[in-house]
This record gives sequence, structure tokens and C-alpha cells, in this order.
Amino acid sequence: MALIECRSLTKAYKRGSGTITPLHELDLDVESGDFLALMGPSGSGKTTLLNLIAGIDRPTGGELCIDGADIATLSRSRLADWRSENIGYIFQLYNLVPVLTAYENVELPLLLHRMPGRERHERVRTALRLVGIADRHDHYPRQLSGGQEQRVAIARAIVTDPRIIVADEPTGDLDAESATAIMQLLTRLNRELNKTLIMVTHDAKCAGYARRALHLEKGRLVEPGRIGSEAEQEAAA
Amino acid sequence: MIAPRYIPVVFKQVWRHRTRSMLTIAGVTVAMFLFIAVQALQKGVHDATSITAADQTLVVYRENRFCPATSRLPERYLERIVRVPGVAEVIPMKVVVNNCRAALDVITYRGVPAEDLTLLGRRWVVTAGSLENWKGRADAAIVGEHLAARRGFKVGESFDSSGVTVNIAAIIRSDEPQDQNVAYVHLPFLQQAAAGGGVGVVTQFSVKVADPTRLEQVGKAIDDEFRTESEPTTTRSEKAFVAQAGQDIVEIVGFTRLLGWGCLAAVLALVANAIVLSVQDRIKEHAVLQTLGFGSGLIARLIIAEGVVIGLIGGVLGAALAVGVVGYGRFSISAEGLSVNVSASPRVILTGLAIAAGVGILAGLAPAWQAGRREIAQCFRAV
Repeated sequence: MALIECRSLTKAYKRGSGTITPLHELDLDVESGDFLALMGPSGSGKTTLLNLIAGIDRPTGGELCIDGADIATLSRSRLADWRSENIGYIFQLYNLVPVLTAYENVELPLLLHRMPGRERHERVRTALRLVGIADRHDHYPRQLSGGQEQRVAIARAIVTDPRIIVADEPTGDLDAESATAIMQLLTRLNRELNKTLIMVTHDAKCAGYARRALHLEKGRLVEPGRIGSEAEQEAAA
Repeated sequence: MIAPRYIPVVFKQVWRHRTRSMLTIAGVTVAMFLFIAVQALQKGVHDATSITAADQTLVVYRENRFCPATSRLPERYLERIVRVPGVAEVIPMKVVVNNCRAALDVITYRGVPAEDLTLLGRRWVVTAGSLENWKGRADAAIVGEHLAARRGFKVGESFDSSGVTVNIAAIIRSDEPQDQNVAYVHLPFLQQAAAGGGVGVVTQFSVKVADPTRLEQVGKAIDDEFRTESEPTTTRSEKAFVAQAGQDIVEIVGFTRLLGWGCLAAVLALVANAIVLSVQDRIKEHAVLQTLGFGSGLIARLIIAEGVVIGLIGGVLGAALAVGVVGYGRFSISAEGLSVNVSASPRVILTGLAIAAGVGILAGLAPAWQAGRREIAQCFRAV
């Protein structure tokens, strides 16, 4: 059984007198440990699909089961709990809380979990070390470069050890060098920590790091398929 | 309301817009200072005028007279009052004030016989000088602590008021508001020194009854005793007398209650405005927190906590200011020779702080509810 199962997944909402359907009866399976790139033009439904899988939006039709649970039926508060345990979200613009240090930003999701302060401290330290930003733990977001901010955001996404990490154009605001570093980091999370990664991207080079890429157009999958990953090529080299 | 581990986050959010938060806290401080000062005044009136079952003091005044300058009773009434059934002690008293109207700094002389000092002295604590000094000197005065602090009086110094010059023999502390703001002098001295006086004439008699439950009956019996005299009397409990004689003060202080509530409304509007602006600035941030797993209720509680922090900081500063100003100033409002102390008691302060926190909660409710109800995806789309 796939970790994520979408059946006739549909999202529609009203705008003015018309109805917009960014996602139309989409079927998709994502296995545990997969690294999936979602590509397509603007308005094709990539981010909508990502948000549905992350549980921050609700489908208007179809089924969405993750690890056997139909998350569309969960109450608002249950869904929040579910997100805190199962999802790590990486945004294009990092979305760190500006008044909190790197350490405090990474600590935020852990505040939701009852655990001793010492354990929380250890987990934050570990996450910061893993993304290579431990030496900047006391820096505020304004004191970090874009690449460093995104590393902090990644640490925040993984600190609760979620099964699924979703990333919405994680390199969209970064220069080429930082983008490569971030993609290598995400690849490590997938390969070494066996995290299931779903990433929206416009960049074919970034998509090349994924195990497979799917193309969406007007809310439908148009080109499912497996591609040779850039990471594998790098590893081979 | 929220777990302690979230408190640093709340403080950091309050500190985020420093200027806005500081201005809001300054506004809350001023409003809470006014509120607590008004409450202190209300409490002073309440303490001075509320009759309790334990009260056992009556004041015998000239009928239909409300000012010490016009209440003139023969000192010889003393012997007849003592014989009224139920009367335990009687002190004849001449009262001279430098200002008959309501004012914040009035000097009141009370002339009492030297032999009655023991009766009065039971409720005093001498903080400077001695009562023996008073007995040995005709122009000596025993000064209440509030009056001494307000005027900077010290033992051994002389001062003049209403044309009467006295020398300070002792400074006393007392639980009775009237003792705190007067200068006790020898009755014969005051009868001779004060204008409009005269030997054998007093302003009032202070009567202690044996049984507090018979206060009214004893008062009526005293008035009956002098009903046919050319100088009839009106006798009331001391606190009823204060309430009647200080009616102007009571009415003015009653009006200030409205000012107190006005201050609270101002605090509510100030804090609510600050929280609304802060929440509007952070729509996307709250969406991010919800994405991380923060529930609507938790986000609402965090926002309300910000209101409580602002309210409480302002409340504590306002209370400290009120305690400092009221304590340093030793204010008392006097009218007709009677005093109402303004004192910020711990209960008044705690009530003020609880109200400040409550206002913070109220101010945060609406923005917290709005923030908690927003759909995450819509927030990301909207920003």
C-alpha cells in the first residue's frame, strides 16, 4: 500500500461568479521513501496538490489517504496535530519568524510536543548540525543569507522527524550555488534518512535530483514517469 | 492558559514592534495609574464612612450646623452626657480648621482636655517625641503622621495655622483616618488662641458607648437630653457624621468612579488596537505556525497572552506609580475638619492588576478569534 494515495482528488473554489478547479480528479500514489518532483506551469495545480497532501488545505472531492488515514475527514484540531507529527513543510521564501533566532525557529515545532527541555535542545542541535548551520544557531533570520535561511527552514521541517517532507520551490529564491547545496541536502534527507519528499519546482535541474517527476497541467497529471536523477549521476561521478 | 515554554515566544512578539508596544504600555500605565488612584480615593471614602457593627463612637454636634466654625456647644454639657445611660467615655473637643471647604492640604486643630489624652492615646503609636512633652507645655501639639509627612513637620518645630502657633511635641500613627491628619492641642489653649472661640465653648463631643449595638439609642437619648436647650444637639455615629459632613467629598469621589471606568475603556481600546495591528501584520506568520501544527486555539491563546502581557506590564507600572505618588504625597481630602485618606492598599493594587490582565484578555479576544479561524491556504494566497 502506498504511503500517499490520491483518488479522483479534486479541489475547486468559487471566485466571483465562477468556479476555479486547480485540481481535477487526480489519481496519484507515492510510496514511502519516494522523492517526487511536481512540475508544470503556473496555475497547473502543483502547489494546491502539495497543500492538500500537507493537510493545510482540504479537497472538495475524491479521497486522500496518507498512511491509511483519510485526512480530509479529520477535524481542524486533529488535522493540526496530524501535521505536527507527519509533515515537514519547506517554503520558497523560508517563512522563518523574524523575531526568533535560528535555534528558536527550529525549536518552534517541538514546542507542540511534550518532552523534557534537554531532549528538545538535543533535537534542535542535531537538526541544525545536520543542515550545516549549527554555528549560526543564535543568528536572527535577517543576519543570515538566503541559503542559510533555507537551511534553517529545512532544520525546522525535519526536527520533529516527520515521515513526509513537502517543499514548495525550495530553491526558487536562491542563487545557483545555494540551490545546488539545498538540493544535495534534500537528497541526503531522502537517501540517508528515508524521508518521503514531495517537491514543487519549475527548475528541471532541481527536478533531476528527484527519483521521479510528474507534470501537471490544468489540474491533471499529464506525464507521469521515472527519470534518471542528477543526484545519481553525481553519485556515480 | 498557555504552557510556560511558549512564554518567551509571547514576549518576543510583544517586543517585536518596540515603539508601538512601548507607547501602548505607556498609555496603559497612565490609565492604570489614574484607575488605581481613583480606587484609592474610593477606598478612603469607604473606610471613613462605612458603618460597621464594631463602631462605638458617637459625635455630638450642634443641631443644624455642619461646619466647625458654627457648631458651638457649651463645655458644661459634658457632665450631662456622661450621665446618659450607655455612655462609657466623653471627650469634649474644639475643632479649628484653616479651610472649611474641601481641600487637599488642610490643617485641623483639635483641642482636647489633657486628662483625656489617655483615652485617645490608646489608639496611637508615637513615632517621634513623647506624649509627656505635650502634657508639659501649653502650646504643644501632637501631630498625625500624614500631616507631619505632608508638611515636613518635625518634633520641636513650631508652625502657625489659622492664627494659632503651636510647638510639635510628638508625631503619632493611628488607624483612624481623622487622627492621621490633625494636630491635637490643649483645649484651654485653643479656646483662648483661636478666633471665634471662647472659654467654655466646644465644637463637639466625642462619645464612646459601652455597647455598639445600642449606638443609635444612646445618640437619641443624648439629643433628647438637650432638645429644650437653646443649643440643641444632633448625635450620629462618627462615620455617619463624616459621611454627612463630608457629603461634598463623597459626591465628588462618587463621580470619579466614572473616570475610573473611563480609564479602563481607554486601556481596552489601546491594547485592542495594538493587538489588532500586530495580528494584521502577521497573517502569513500565523499561517506558517498553523502549517507547523499549531492549532487555532493555541494561536488564539498566544495572541490573548500578548494582550495580557501588555496589560500586566502597564498595570504593574501604573500601580507602582500610583503607590509612589499616593505614598509620597500622603494625600487626604478634608472638608469641615474631617479627613478622607487616599491610600493604595494591597487589595486596591491587586484588583487593579487583575483588571489590567482582564482587559488584556478582552482586548485580545476578537483578533485572536479572527486569527484562529483563518484558513491556512487562503492566508498564503492573500499575502
